[in-house]
This record gives sequence, C-alpha cells and structure tokens, in this order.
Amino acid sequence: MTAAAQAPTKRGRRGPKWGLAVPSFLWYAMFFIAPIAVIVVYSFGAKDSSKLVPVDLSSLSFDNYGNVFSETFFKVFKGTLQIAVTATALCLLVGFPVSYFLAFKVSERWRAILLGLVIVPSFASFLMRTVAWRIPLSANGEFSQWLQDIGLVGAPLNILGTRTAVFLAIVYNYIGFMVLPMFVALDRIDSSLREASKDLGGTRLSTFASVTVPLAGPGVVAGVLLTFIPMCGDYITATVLGGADGFMVGSLIDSQFRGSQNWPQGSAMAVLMIGMVLLSLVVFAGIIWLARKALVLARPLVDSWRQNRAEALVAHREHRAQSKPVQPKVRKRDGVHWALAVWTTLVLIFLFVPILLMVRHSFNNAPSFPVWSGSYSTVWYGGEPGRTQSGQPMTGLFEFGEIGPMLLWFAGIIAIGIVLPRLVAAVRGKRSRLLSKWSFPVAFVVAIIVNGVTTDWYQSIFMNAGVGDSIRGSFIAAFGATVMAVVLGGLCGVALARHPGTWSKVMMALLFLILVTPEIMDAIALAGWFKRIGGPFESDFLGFVPFEMLRLWVGQSLYASAVVTLIVRARLAGIDESLEEAAGDLGAPPRRAFRQITLPLISSALVAGGLLSFTLCLDNTIISTQISGASSTFPVALVSATKSEIKPFWAVGALLLFAVTLAMLAFLANVLRKSGDSSSQIAATLTGS
Amino acid sequence: MTTPNEPMRMLAPSSFRQALSRRALFQIGGAAAGLAIIGAACGSDDKSTDTTAAGGTDTTAASNTTAGGGGGSDLLSQYSNVINKSSGNLAMFTWGDYNDPDIIGALAESTLGVTMKVDYYPSNEDLITKLSSSGGASGFDIVVPTGPYIPQMVEKGLLQKFNKDLLPNMSNVDPFYMARDWDPGNDYSVCKNWGSTGWFYDKTKITKPITTWQEFMDACAGEASGRCSWLDAGPNVCGPYFWANGINWTTEKAEDLDACEEYLVGTIAQHIKAFDSYPSSALAEGAYDLSMAWNGDARQAYFRIADAGGNPDNWVWGLGAPATEIWMDTYCIAAGAPNVEGAHAWINWLLTPEISIKDLNYHGYHSGMKQIDKLIAELLPELVRADMIFFTDDQVKTMQTGAVNSAQDRLIEIFDKVKAKAAG
Repeated sequence: MTAAAQAPTKRGRRGPKWGLAVPSFLWYAMFFIAPIAVIVVYSFGAKDSSKLVPVDLSSLSFDNYGNVFSETFFKVFKGTLQIAVTATALCLLVGFPVSYFLAFKVSERWRAILLGLVIVPSFASFLMRTVAWRIPLSANGEFSQWLQDIGLVGAPLNILGTRTAVFLAIVYNYIGFMVLPMFVALDRIDSSLREASKDLGGTRLSTFASVTVPLAGPGVVAGVLLTFIPMCGDYITATVLGGADGFMVGSLIDSQFRGSQNWPQGSAMAVLMIGMVLLSLVVFAGIIWLARKALVLARPLVDSWRQNRAEALVAHREHRAQSKPVQPKVRKRDGVHWALAVWTTLVLIFLFVPILLMVRHSFNNAPSFPVWSGSYSTVWYGGEPGRTQSGQPMTGLFEFGEIGPMLLWFAGIIAIGIVLPRLVAAVRGKRSRLLSKWSFPVAFVVAIIVNGVTTDWYQSIFMNAGVGDSIRGSFIAAFGATVMAVVLGGLCGVALARHPGTWSKVMMALLFLILVTPEIMDAIALAGWFKRIGGPFESDFLGFVPFEMLRLWVGQSLYASAVVTLIVRARLAGIDESLEEAAGDLGAPPRRAFRQITLPLISSALVAGGLLSFTLCLDNTIISTQISGASSTFPVALVSATKSEIKPFWAVGALLLFAVTLAMLAFLANVLRKSGDSSSQIAATLTGS
Repeated sequence: MTTPNEPMRMLAPSSFRQALSRRALFQIGGAAAGLAIIGAACGSDDKSTDTTAAGGTDTTAASNTTAGGGGGSDLLSQYSNVINKSSGNLAMFTWGDYNDPDIIGALAESTLGVTMKVDYYPSNEDLITKLSSSGGASGFDIVVPTGPYIPQMVEKGLLQKFNKDLLPNMSNVDPFYMARDWDPGNDYSVCKNWGSTGWFYDKTKITKPITTWQEFMDACAGEASGRCSWLDAGPNVCGPYFWANGINWTTEKAEDLDACEEYLVGTIAQHIKAFDSYPSSALAEGAYDLSMAWNGDARQAYFRIADAGGNPDNWVWGLGAPATEIWMDTYCIAAGAPNVEGAHAWINWLLTPEISIKDLNYHGYHSGMKQIDKLIAELLPELVRADMIFFTDDQVKTMQTGAVNSAQDRLIEIFDKVKAKAAG
C-alpha cells in the first residue's frame, strides 16, 4: 500500500489519533507514574520511622544512592544477573528442541494436544508447584532413597538449598514463556524455505543452522525477554527451594522496605535496579546487533564455501537421482525425530511431576505437605478428622456434609444451562446459535453470583474459612482485574497498531517500563498511593464495592493490561488494514467500523490476552500482598504459609483453584476453536507474536 | 484433649455438669448456644457479667467461678473464667501455625459465635508495613506483635487501647509477664505466648556436643557446614555472636556491631544453608543437620521427624547458652478494627485457663498463665517434652529481652551482608 492511498482515509478520521489510548494513559498516569514518582522522590529523602510513611522529605539528598552503591548491592545484583542469565540460557536449551519438535515434527492434532500439555501446568498455583518440588528433592524422601537403593548416588540427595535447586525452580516456572514464542516463530517459517535449502544441497545441519535458526530469531528474542525480565525481579521462586542460595536483589529491596522500614534506601535500590535491568537489556541488544553485523561481514566467505559444497552435493544427488527414481516426500521418523520426541516427553514429565505430587500429598496422613507419611488420608479434604502422632488435630479444607447441597445447586443450574437451549430449539423449531453458545457459561456465572450474594453456603462448606475466602478472593480479584485489563489493553492495542505516531513511542516506553519495574516497587508505591488518594480505596465505594477488592483490581490490572495491549497490537499488526479502510471508504463511521470490523478481528487476541492476564492475576503475589488487607488472595495467604509449615490443605485449595481454572480454560479454548483459530494461532496470540 | 464433635470439656464433676447444663440452658433461653458456657456454675458465686457490645450486638455473658467443692477444681476456681459471646467475622493477623485449628475453627464459632479468618505474617516488620500501608483500614481485628515492637506501633497509631472491662481474664496472667517495659500498663497488649531460642541437631552427624552459642557457630562452620539453618531475621542472626561473647544483643555500640559483622560475614556466612524461621518441617525432610530454632518449633521437629519415619532420638535440643533471647508475642487490637467487641471477646477467651492450655498443647509455647505447672498437671498431664516449653528459673535468668533501637538498621544491613555472602 502506498502512502498516497493511505492519506485520504487518515484525514477522514475524526478526533486525535490516540483517542483510544486515552483511558490507558490516564490509568497509567494515575496508578503507575504518579505512585512511582512519589517513590522516586522518597529515594532522595531520609528514614523517619516514627511516621506512618517512614520518610522525611525535609532535606533531599543523594545519600541513599551513595549507600546503595555498595559492595553488598552489586554482589547480590551480580548473583541475580548470573542466575537470570544462566536460567534463561537453560530455558532456551531445554525449550528449543521442544518448540522445534512441535513446529516441524508432529501432526496438527498432536501439536494442539502437546501445546495444551505445555500450557496446562502453568494454570496451577506457581507457588504450590514450586513447593511441591521439595518432595522429590528432599534428602529423606522416597526419590532420594530410591536413587540410593539403585546405587546411583551414595548419600542422600543434597539439592534443596543449593544453586541447582534455584535453577530448577526458575527453569520450571519460566520454561513455558520460552517455548511458546519460539514455537510460534518456528511455526511461521515457510516450509518451502527449508525444502529449498535441502534441494540446494543443504544438509540437515546446514539447513538448521542457516535457515531455521536465523528465522527463529525473533521468537528466541521474545522468549528471552519474557523470561529474563521477570526473573530479575522475582524473588519468591528462588527462595522457596534455594534457601540461602536463592537470595535475589528483589529480596534485598524487600528487606529495605519491610525489614528495616528504610523506604528511602529501598526506593533508591529499586530505581537503581530498574536502571541495571535496562542496561543489561541494552547490552543484550548490543550483542545481537554485533552478531548480525558479524554475520553480514562473514557472509561472502561463508557463501562461497557453501556454494562449493552445495554444488558438489547437487552433483552427487543428481548422480544418485539418475540411478534411483525420486521417492515421494514422507515425514521421516528417524533418530532425530525420536530423540526430539523423547526430549519433549521428558520436559512434559518435568512440567507435570509437581502437579501429580501435589495430588498425592493432598492425601498425606500427616500435617506437613512435603513430608510423606506413607499412608493416605482424606482428612485434608474434610474426611474423618485425624490426629497426628503427637495428638494434634488435623482439620481439612472442606466440611464434607455441606458439599452435597452445594453440588446439587450447581448441578441444577448447569443442567438448566444445558437443557434450556435444547428446549428453546425444540419450541422454535430451529437452533439458536447464540443461545447454545452462551447459555451454559451464563448459567455458570449466574450460579456463582447468586451464590456469592448468599454467602452462607460458601462459609459453611469451608472448614478453614481463611483458605476458602482466599480462594474466592482470588477469583473475584482476577476476574475484575482481567476485565479492566482487556478493556484498557484492547483499546490501547488498537490505537497502537492502527494510529501510530510519536505518542505510540511514549506509550511503548511506558508499557516497557511497567513490565520491567520490580513488583515490590509497584507494591509499595501503590500501597502508599491508595492511602493518599483515599476515597473508594479506603472505604467501600457506594457501600458495596469493597475497597480492598478495588485495590486488587487496580493493582493487578497494571501488568495484565500491558500484556493485553501488546498482544492486541501484535495481532492487529499482522492483519491488513485494508478491511477497516474499505469500511471507511464505504461510508461507515469510525465507531461502526470499529465495532463491526476491528472488534471481530481482535476478538481472539482479547480472549487470549484475557486468559493470560487471568492466570497472571491469579498468581499475582507481591503487589497483592502489600495492597490488600484481610481479604487476601490465595497466593497471598500461601506465601505467608510457606514461611512456616505448609499443611496439605493448601494443596487441596490449589487443586480446587486449578480445577476451576481448567474448566474455564476448556470453555475458552472451545470458543477460540469455534472462532477458527488453529492451535498455532492460539499460541501465537497468547504470546503476542 | 477434646474431640471436635464434643468441643467443650467441663471442668467439673459430672453432677455439677448436669446442674450446669440445665442452668445454662435456662439462662439463655434454651438456645443451642448452651455450648458457649464453659466451666462450672456453683452456688452463690455464679454471676453474670453483662458486657454491652459497642454496636448493640447480642451479647450473652456467662461467667462462672467455681468455689471448690468436691472434685478437684480448687485450682481452676482461682482463675477468672468469663466468656463473652460475640458475632460476625473476626480477622486475625498472626504468625504461622500459632493457634490450635480447633480453637480458631469450630470452637470459636460455637463458643464465641464468631467466624475467624486468619492470615499469617513472617516478621513483625511485615505486620507493621501492612498495617501502616493501609493506615487503619487493614481490616484486621487482632494482631500479634512481639513486645519490643509495640511502642513503635502505638506511636504510629496502629493499635488501639484495650477496654479492660471486656478483658477480666487478664487477671489470669502471671504478673511476671505483665507490665513489661514496652507497655507498662498493659493498655495495648497482653501476653499471648513467650519462648526462647536454641539449637537442634542430629547427634549422628555432629559428634561434638553443643552447649554454647560458640560451639553452635563452630559446628556450623565445621561438621554442619552447608547443612545448617539460622533464623530468618536480622537481630536473631546477630544474636548468637553477641551471646557467645558476653554482649547483650540489644547493644547499640558501633564496635560491637562491627565485630559481629566481621565475624559473621567472614567466618560463618558461607557455611549457612538457609535462613529458616520454622525449620521443623525441613528438618524432617532431611534438609539440615543443625538448626537454630525457637523452642516450640524444635519441639514440633521431634514430632515431624517421627511422622516422616525418622528417629527422633538422634536429635538433640539445647537452649541457647550462656545467654539467649526471650521473646513475648502479645495479643493487640488493630486501630480501625471492624469488630472491636469481638476482638476483646476472643482475647479474653484465650486467657481462660482451659483454652490457653489447649492452645499451648498445639504449638508448644508457654502462655504466661499463673501457676502454669499446676494447670498442666490438672488439665494436660499427658503433655510430652514439657522441658522444651517450661524453663527453670536459672534458665530464664539467662534470657534477654530484645529491643527495637538505633541498631535496627545496622542489624538489617549486617543480615543483608550475611545473606549476600551465604548466597555465594
């Protein structure tokens, strides 16, 4: 499309080009820039623990930065960087064969199944999964015993509390973010390019090295960014398994804010950390740039070598072809294929091991989740109350007797959801697509809402009211935050893709900043900010919107909306603008064109983005911990439980969350499939590439 | 102890029990809430304390003191046994695993009429940060800070004063645990539990017995190198150095702190495997050979090790020496608590001898009740490893109360350096 053809339609639009991005701008100004700016100001203040906000701003100085430029900070930062870089490399090494296998070696049907298997584990509580790794790694555990019995190791395993455990925990938690974007990039490679390479005499290896890898580049870069940046700020994953070896810079910042109440110093550290993360990204970009330059410089040399080799090979093949008729192309199942299949299977087992262990240990007949008692018990689900050896009571999550009526209630609602459309179809004589598609989910939501209003059943089925409430809190918080994220991100994403300009650079920079800011800084900034602005964030809005929930919605929506924005933008960038222009040319006003053309185009991106933000919000821990009060979410409750003994009922709660999330997921996957996306497209939209 | 199906155990002979049930049912109009009455009613000593709820909530008060009379409740008659009914939800923010689940679950509901919701924090600083960042709107009713943090919290306006009329059972607490420096009038706080710090080790791995903090640190750098855990808090990590060297751990002297940093960072840090405030479960997993632990958690470790099929006899507990800490966690009511009346009812209930001892049996920390040894003999004769809960006077003399003072930032700084070094 030429610039001349574009011009008239652009002029035809009314309002500023970035109109759709205004809500996002306001949102981020209000809940990201302003609170963070306050924190940056704090970094020039001094500590004053007598005040509620322990900062004295009467005299500003750079002292905190002087203190932060210390050996300790750089040592810890170096350690964090080492861990993040190594773990990213490990993710790449472990994940690439899986992505490759999925993209090139399996049928469309298997691809969908395997992709699903890669994604599914990430919908279980990340904290509980990480804790579950303690089971096979523990020195006195069955796995350690078994290894000793078969003589593979001479002494009990000593992995917990070491760097090995840190890497395992991190790779485990982030590998999905590496596999998906790489898969998408590989999947997009036109297979004719690879065939051409082979026809031109390229060997398997040279095709892989000179065609596949360079074309996978963008996917690798996306994967590296998606894993490396959060790794730098994450400090919970590493400490759960890594003990003292999992000390990350995030913990150091956290210890300033919470340990010594030294907000100014903590702020200075956080500011410095953002700077350092950005710097390492610049270095990373520099390396890529240099590598490209080097490739360009070396190309003539390599090319001539390749050409010679190729000519020789072609001659050889021609010779062979003359003696043998060309076989029709079939997918070969050779050694490489099987090696990749085995590797992928191993990675999948790796992903599912903690979930299976979680299931088993939720039946543990002892009060400690990771330490297996040797016998099964339903006590943690609400079975016959048990006693520990020392005579302590073991109390489960549910009160079994109360579950019956609740299940009946749900079954009834769902039955109506299934029967109603059929009934209507029978009466009207034709099937209503709308009704059959939506009656079930609507019935489900109605059941939940009605139950939510009449909370009696809810209170009564949970023996452990705290855990029960936290599970419900998680869903309500994640649901609200996701709605906000989808609305904001959808509008902003469309604006970015369709009306780029100088403003879009500012917005992109802002989004990037949101993604790299350590969560602990957002958390502290927001907590102080909500207090400062008060209003609906300090007392229930209109008497029925709980202010704590509002805080969670806003807090969790920040990161999630940035993710949705990028996904929607990427989705639209891949679609020709001509459809919308055609609508405009045919006289449709912009609003109508948006509703009838753009919205359907981005619907799958919105669903995928919503899904992703829902899981991100469900797992959100650090921000939620700081901004929410008593009505906390599941990970908030769980993270404090990990500091002491973890009772098996946490696994029961995590499994409940997992089951409900999977049910919702299955429904959404169904919608996505109906809207015509292939599994590869779903993965593509999920990763925003 | 009691079973969940029969939550109340009467502290009276069966004849009294029958009299009580009838009487109690009569008093409160035959409602099923008769369960709420604990203790025995007897003769003219029976009195009802009607405490009016702030919000006009339905309050049933039943207070009974047993006046002796055949059956061995002489002891319990010396305690105040008031239980005030309340209603609604009650949110408590406390340390992990710090109450018997029976008490915060079914019993609170049947006895007090409240539904407890409990969240946990891993350190006092977390508690303070959370309360101050929400500025009186945290939604919590009851919080459980450690004594020395109370003045700071009062100054910041995070706590509210007790209405002592609603806490008659405070008289059950041994005067020794009342009127501490941090709250001389007990206007904001009352002892929940107190404990101390020591070590816990596998004698099959650590052959040289540990009797002092210096030997503990030597073992950590020696036989237990890479297999030892320390408590996860700045003051506690620095404590062993001070105690081993005859320095009070509340020292604010720069040279003491510097020497501590030099020793811990230079000699000890690289041998530490984890900073773990509740090592009992990890000990059962076989994660450490030596742990610095609070007495109650070390006691739990014996049980966990047995649960996991290990041999508890291989493990040795020792109270810190020549000096060690004494900490006291206290019940307080958060400023802006939504259910002030319920919070008082809860705290008062936990100060009744029977509930206090039941709770103690769960976590293994001294609850500060007066004449606690006699209470145990009467209510809980089957208590095991009692020596890890109750200490001799000579031991208590060696225990130093902590302080939140000008050294706090420095202690955190040292702790961060130790952690940075330990991470290698």
